[in-house]
Amino acid sequence: MKYILLFILFFSAENVWAAQLKLVATTSSMGMLAREVGAEQVSVKVLAPPDRDAHHLQAKPSMMRHLRSADLVLAIGAELEIGWLPAALQGANNPQVQVGRIGYFEAAAQVGLIDEGQAADRAQGDVHPLGNPHVNLDPVRMIQIAQALAQRLGNLDEANAQVYLQRAQAFAQQIKSRLPQWQAQAKAAKGVVLHHKDADYLLQRFNVPILGYIEPIAGVPTTAKHLKALLTKLKVKDGGVIIRSVFHPPQGAAFLARELGWASHAMPIDPPLGADGAGYLAFIDQWMAAITSNQ
Amino acid sequence: MNKTLSFAVACVLGFSPMAQAQSDDIAALQQQINQLKQEYEGRIQDLEQRLQQVQSSTIEEPQPTAPSPRNTKNSSRQSVSSGTAFNPAISVILDGSYYNDNDDGKGGEKLESLDGIHNAHGHSHDHGHDDHGHSHGGMDRGFNLNSVEMAISATVDPYFDAKAQIVFSEDSVEVEEAYLLTRGLPAGLQVKGGKFLSDIGYMNKQHTHDWDFSDAALPYKVLLGGHGLGDIGLQLSWLPELPVYTRLGMELFQGRNEKMGALVGEHHYEFEGKEYELTIDKEKSAPRMWTLFAKFAPDLGYNHALQGGLFYVRSNQLQEFHGDDAHVAGDSTHALQGKSWLAGTDWVYKYDSAGSYGQGDVRIQAEYLYQVKDLNVAYHASKPAVVGATRKFTEDGLYLQAVYGFAPRWEAGVRYEVVGLTNKKESANKILDEWESSDRWGLNVTFRPTEYSLLRAQFTRGNFSILGDEERINQFWLQYQLSLGVHGAHAF
Repeated sequence: MKYILLFILFFSAENVWAAQLKLVATTSSMGMLAREVGAEQVSVKVLAPPDRDAHHLQAKPSMMRHLRSADLVLAIGAELEIGWLPAALQGANNPQVQVGRIGYFEAAAQVGLIDEGQAADRAQGDVHPLGNPHVNLDPVRMIQIAQALAQRLGNLDEANAQVYLQRAQAFAQQIKSRLPQWQAQAKAAKGVVLHHKDADYLLQRFNVPILGYIEPIAGVPTTAKHLKALLTKLKVKDGGVIIRSVFHPPQGAAFLARELGWASHAMPIDPPLGADGAGYLAFIDQWMAAITSNQ
Repeated sequence: MNKTLSFAVACVLGFSPMAQAQSDDIAALQQQINQLKQEYEGRIQDLEQRLQQVQSSTIEEPQPTAPSPRNTKNSSRQSVSSGTAFNPAISVILDGSYYNDNDDGKGGEKLESLDGIHNAHGHSHDHGHDDHGHSHGGMDRGFNLNSVEMAISATVDPYFDAKAQIVFSEDSVEVEEAYLLTRGLPAGLQVKGGKFLSDIGYMNKQHTHDWDFSDAALPYKVLLGGHGLGDIGLQLSWLPELPVYTRLGMELFQGRNEKMGALVGEHHYEFEGKEYELTIDKEKSAPRMWTLFAKFAPDLGYNHALQGGLFYVRSNQLQEFHGDDAHVAGDSTHALQGKSWLAGTDWVYKYDSAGSYGQGDVRIQAEYLYQVKDLNVAYHASKPAVVGATRKFTEDGLYLQAVYGFAPRWEAGVRYEVVGLTNKKESANKILDEWESSDRWGLNVTFRPTEYSLLRAQFTRGNFSILGDEERINQFWLQYQLSLGVHGAHAF
């Protein structure tokens, strides 16, 4: 009898494991949300590690293999992954996760975007007429995205719908409890020079002035002429910080830091690969520390 | 607020007809009123609580953002994409070059006349097929407008995606691809139908702008023609849920490939005023060609990607007409017919260094193709005795190329190509003819100002066997490619 019970227990445990939703996230930010809201009900695979530009990946066959078995794909959207995700989805032979189906979720579609409705003119570089896609650096927008994700997970797994909503709520509470501290912290920031428009959401959230971009236009490497003009503009400011993403070339930032005597940081624009909600808070802390390091 | 409300409730109840009841009922009434009051207060408290909850969970809109008419916080959009406003995604690729060689501009043509099974009778064979308008090989010395490729793609409905790839050259238009692709088949199945480039090998499916070099690799050019294997047909592919990425597929094609499935359309020919009849089979009903392919790719983490493949192509009918001179018959005029097949393997390795703008990235690619034409003599103008004799032609080819991102946005590539390592004509296991191989070395440097444009300089040095002679041909390209329109997604 005992053995029969054990047997049943074993197989029911096995079923619980089998019933896990398979989530495939494009970036580690989306992976973080998947872990935070899905927890033990989901398994998470991240396709783009935070040490490289999610805009410039290749649609690899191994990605297609993960997408083939996925129940839900979590993308940042707004064409951030346009160079590879459509091709990977097309090669995945999985109807559930095609765009427009219940298994495809885009973060950028859940929130308002900045720079939306820009002229679709490539003379301005790699512009995103749909808006700036880097929403993951705004903790408040991430609350909205987490709530939308909880609803989506609830649609896919109705039995746990309430649990997902509660977890999204708990994530929202975690962030809200930190917002006053970040707001106070941000008051000390004098301004930030970015390499690319990838931290605009965070800086706008905390009213930190953006002093300029090292890229002359989006997606195009900097030029000496542009750096000189930028330097002239920045010299009159009473301080600031220079921040580039870890995957951007260091020369431009190094030049400005040397000339201005400002602090310069190479920051990841997504939390570490296996991060959960706490990891995301630590990641925002890391950014706040960098932004305010202008003394 | 709740106090005023409960007071109002009490008043309403107090002045209701119930108030005129007997005095001994008043106590009971008061009790009822108190009950109601409590009940309402409870409800109101509950409502207030909920209101508070809703207020606290509502997030302020990001302040600095100007309100946009297209996008509201409560939008229920599924995705954000610039290609989905009911218009198909359109992209145009302009490809042009400056070209020169050390052979009076005939370098491109020479590639079509390398000694081997497709030039087994000098330059005189006629595959009964018209030359296509645009050619990837023949280039003029000086400036060339290679092609204008227009790709139009869209999701048709929940069941189909569709794509058309139209290639314009200076004076012609060709539909290179126009196919549908299923979106909703279960069990990892997918069907492609229409005109498309076969999934055999690695390079075959790529369009010119996907190439790391300015021109196609020799084995493809020689064994499958400048266009590779592309035809009207149907493909079924399957992605089983195995631990390692595995894609298996088969295709049926009309079988019109110029090298493997050409037919002799004419059954009559004229020579010195006399008409002769060619005894050759009629065109078989299509589809006359089928392929099988398999691709495997282990998951090697974020930095490495490897894919290997095997493929097989079979053509059920191939006919060749050979004369002394093109289109003019003579004593040695004869026709061959039979079948052909091709087998090969393709390997790709890519290293993603996580460097900026492609710095440190490596791409290595190699393919081997082996082709056999199993034919019989169907007709001979002067030697009827050889009719029925077998003629087996075998030729192979391989290429190996590597590209390295030596600086942000800069790549350098090296390629080695060879055809005819095996290069022979046999009859009943007796070798009738054997030809030398031809090979070519290539070097190039590519600069990508943005992901939408490309400038490339390429130099190749060929050591070709042409009519038994060894010829050294140097070719030079300065190429540009510009990508207009929507941002395309590139397959692996």
